[in-house]
Amino acid sequence: MQQNVVVLDNGGGLIKAGLGGDRDPSTIIPNCLYRPLSSKKWLHPSPSSDPIDLTSAAVRRPIDRGYLINPDLQRDIWAHVFSSILHTHHVGPAHSALLLTEPLFALPSVQRATDELVFEDFNFAALYVADSPSLTHLYEASRRPTGLISRAQCSLVVDCGFSFTHAAPVFQNFTLNYAAKRIDLGGKALTNYLKELVSYRSVNVMDETFLMDDVKEKLCFVSMDVTRDLRIAKKSGKENLLRCTYVLPDGVAHTKGFVKDADEAQRYTALDEGDDQSQKPGTSMDWDQAHVTEKIEERKKTDLTKNEFDLTNERFLVPEMIFHPADLGMNQAGLAECIVRAVSSCHPHLQPLLYQSIVLTGGSTLFPRFTQRLERELRPLVPDDFQVKITSQEDPILGVWRGGSLLASSPDFEGMCVTKAEYEELGSARCRRRFFH
Amino acid sequence: MDDDASNPLRRVSSRTRKVASKMVAALASTDNRTQAALARLEALENDNAGIETVEPNDEDDDSLDEDDQVYMQKKQSKSMKRKTRQAKALEARKAPKTFLELLHEANLESLPSHVPSYLKASVGPPISTSRRHFCTVCGSAAKYTCVRCGIRFCSCRCQNIHNDTRCLKFVA
Ligand SMILES: [Zn+2]
Ligand SMILES: [Zn+2]
Repeated sequence: MQQNVVVLDNGGGLIKAGLGGDRDPSTIIPNCLYRPLSSKKWLHPSPSSDPIDLTSAAVRRPIDRGYLINPDLQRDIWAHVFSSILHTHHVGPAHSALLLTEPLFALPSVQRATDELVFEDFNFAALYVADSPSLTHLYEASRRPTGLISRAQCSLVVDCGFSFTHAAPVFQNFTLNYAAKRIDLGGKALTNYLKELVSYRSVNVMDETFLMDDVKEKLCFVSMDVTRDLRIAKKSGKENLLRCTYVLPDGVAHTKGFVKDADEAQRYTALDEGDDQSQKPGTSMDWDQAHVTEKIEERKKTDLTKNEFDLTNERFLVPEMIFHPADLGMNQAGLAECIVRAVSSCHPHLQPLLYQSIVLTGGSTLFPRFTQRLERELRPLVPDDFQVKITSQEDPILGVWRGGSLLASSPDFEGMCVTKAEYEELGSARCRRRFFH
Repeated sequence: MDDDASNPLRRVSSRTRKVASKMVAALASTDNRTQAALARLEALENDNAGIETVEPNDEDDDSLDEDDQVYMQKKQSKSMKRKTRQAKALEARKAPKTFLELLHEANLESLPSHVPSYLKASVGPPISTSRRHFCTVCGSAAKYTCVRCGIRFCSCRCQNIHNDTRCLKFVA
């Protein structure tokens, strides 16, 4: 009998879950519990039918810095997820296999706790643990069977997710973990940084995780020229192509915030269209005091009287961290150097192929101009005779899950799993060796 | 069983552990600037604003009384010389370890140098150490540094705002 395979991409931010063989996951929910102001209880995120007001809601997450550290909380959330996926199929976990994603370099204690959850709490019949780079590679290779990634059987996967960012080479469907490199920054830190900037400068949003996620997703972008954009951000009136306004929820007419003027928010895109006409740096640097003073006065006025705030340079200073963590005081290299270090750790024959097969995945790669900026920073660091080609995934949030769904429906899948009986006989550590090469 | 007597901070509940770790940092460094910078980076991984409180896992932690009880128990345990094994077990169940605690326990430093690990996968410092400084008040290029906390600002105006509202915010 062909088993059900539940495919679970267990992200620190979002859970993507569904049945193997499907094109898309049937459930996408935040991997957390909320406690809204109106409630004493911790609630499961509701799928959409009944949106709850998340203003100032507290959050509990089972995942810390990318890894599952709170199995009790994760059990709660998974039970909720599995009941909605498996419910309609009238089969329980005992008759299903689980394909679960886990970040690279999970500690043995984390792996043990995960295996206990899967086999002892949920009684799954079998388990396969996959990492996101190999699933991303699999999906991209299958989409273009004649493309380079598929022919050379290798790619360099950059996964910029919720908890951290990895650059990891994949060769013949296996992640070369000796060459993988990590930056300790992801979407969560970016949202927190945006909260900090906005709270410092206009209105206190330190408790507004969900609101600020929305602001980040709708208004942040990657700058192609930070010095120029800082200068533009200081201009007043219509000349400031970067300024835009976000309206806070009022709790009555609207429980969610929104971008006040969508056209205004898009004006920045004019900046890099005619790239050659751009001003030479240093020609009109006006760091003068008057402007700054005026701007702060202006902001104070808006903040106190209206239920909204302006953003200017925050829009690009936030994603900028991925490219220059040192600006924050972190002693870590940025994304371009991270990629170079990962590639340089591989066999010299692989290196030119990897630079031509860079794949971007993860929600934090969705910032407008992420790819262009990365290419601009990477090119000077790569030998001249190597090509650089960066592909962004069609859907960087679902790409890993789709790879998992493909793998789960392949004829080899069953043989790759560890069964419950094997787990009971061998224990977690020995079973885990099976998933690595 | 006396191991924790040498380190009184180890014993306290997770609710106070976060505060404790900041205090340890404060004691280890007499330099406010370093301390502020570390606290700021740590705060970027928080789920909720301010100092995180780790709450119990049980379903029934939702009523206020229960919360209060837990809190009482923790307060009490702080003042006790030594806790019973039961109390310790209860605490272990109620407060999951943070990733950094699990990492410390895993003792990855002891692995042979050719074994890939979480620690070795860190990208490492940038080649160019030049750091661009942005004013923490308005975001412009920042030329000045606060002598007390090390945070950057661009002008007298921004300095005043900094001093009035946020200086040493992450240290206090
Ligand atoms: Zn300033
Ligand atoms: Zn200061």
